[in-house]
Amino acid sequence: MDSSFTLSQRATIVATFAIGILLTLAPLPRAIGVLRPDWVALILVYWCLAIPDRIGVGSAWILGLVLDGLYGSLLGEQALAKALLAFLTLRFTLRLRVFPRWQQSLAVGILIALSDLLILMVKSLVQGTAPIWSDTAPMIANVILWPFLFTILREVRRRAKIS
Amino acid sequence: MGTFLGWSIKRPSSLTKLILLTCVSVVLIVLNAHHEHETHTFRSLMNRATYPVQTLATLPFSATKHLDQDLRTNADLRRANHRLRLRDLKLEAHLTRFDALRREVVHLTKLLHGTRLPGYRETLARVLAVSSGPFTQRLILNEGRRSHIYVGQAVIDAHGIVGQIVAVGPDTSDVMLITDPNSGIPVVSQRNGLRAIVFGTGSTDGLKVPYLTVTADIRPGDILVSSGLGGVYPPGYPVARVTAVTSNPNLAFLKVRAVALARLNYHTHVLLLWPKKSQPKRGRVGG
Repeated sequence: MDSSFTLSQRATIVATFAIGILLTLAPLPRAIGVLRPDWVALILVYWCLAIPDRIGVGSAWILGLVLDGLYGSLLGEQALAKALLAFLTLRFTLRLRVFPRWQQSLAVGILIALSDLLILMVKSLVQGTAPIWSDTAPMIANVILWPFLFTILREVRRRAKIS
Repeated sequence: MGTFLGWSIKRPSSLTKLILLTCVSVVLIVLNAHHEHETHTFRSLMNRATYPVQTLATLPFSATKHLDQDLRTNADLRRANHRLRLRDLKLEAHLTRFDALRREVVHLTKLLHGTRLPGYRETLARVLAVSSGPFTQRLILNEGRRSHIYVGQAVIDAHGIVGQIVAVGPDTSDVMLITDPNSGIPVVSQRNGLRAIVFGTGSTDGLKVPYLTVTADIRPGDILVSSGLGGVYPPGYPVARVTAVTSNPNLAFLKVRAVALARLNYHTHVLLLWPKKSQPKRGRVGG
């Protein structure tokens, strides 16, 4: 079951996450910035769908911890959300795979929105600030972006012969 | 199936993993939220590790900024030139007055106390990264402990107070902006000296001034300057302009909105302040 990956295949997967992180951190004007999709979450969902044996809850948690360090959020907050996201994706992998693309992007958007909701809950619990409407903008951006990202990452996966 | 210390065990299911890792996350969150001092060293270590990534992420944008500067039309430049000339003239006029006033103030204070105005030493710092969301409004600066930055230091720009230092790494430091929900600044109204506290709301530029009773004399357009109470911020420096005052007869307090005067969205450089160490000696009583 554990088909071991070559070094370059591992590097490819890590590189996709690294690019996602860079895209997330890149400074944007505020008007566009609120519409910034959650790149890392989308890439995570893709890999969970593509290779559920290798990318799962554990790797998602570690990825989240790295994100916590980068975003300066509470340590464990992103980790928790990303672990939940990976779990949900793994739970629905088979169904998600056979969905038509638009339905898939809607479903993925909802899964990421769920994990975002968890972050918002933790934040309002710990810091006592209410969520605002602009928090929903990235969720919409996720849905729009998913089909394109899916196509690109599938191409990357095929080139690197990861399966 | 796998083996662990000679025991044959099943690979944990993802649900088991989720539950375990959720527990770990919750412990981490609670530790981080309530025992900030204990986790501080770990945080600063992480800051240092992620510094290259943050620099890398901002790199293409600092490059294109120059491109934008280079590609200007002639008309643009003419207009800018004209505007700047006018501005220069105006500023020149102000400056002559200002110089005269400053000399007068120094002269008068000398007469009063025999000392100079207590001053601040200041240093420019570059903004490396901005993290702004509904819950954090932070800047990361390129100066750290090696430049004697300390937690609680005031950060200003040419227009007003920007915020204060909340975390210091060896080469970087974090600024909590005044729009951060955790920030509060004691201020006085410039018009009538009314005391208040300005809190951040988490949105860029948006500030609120709670705890003012309905009888408080505050109007849209009032400028709020720092009062210096609490000792973090220098007194008399502009903080915010009141934009809206709404009074609801059912509530004990006014709902007052304000905008930050510091241009929080436009920073590439900010000023860090150190109070000058050499406090003048008080006149010896009874000589």
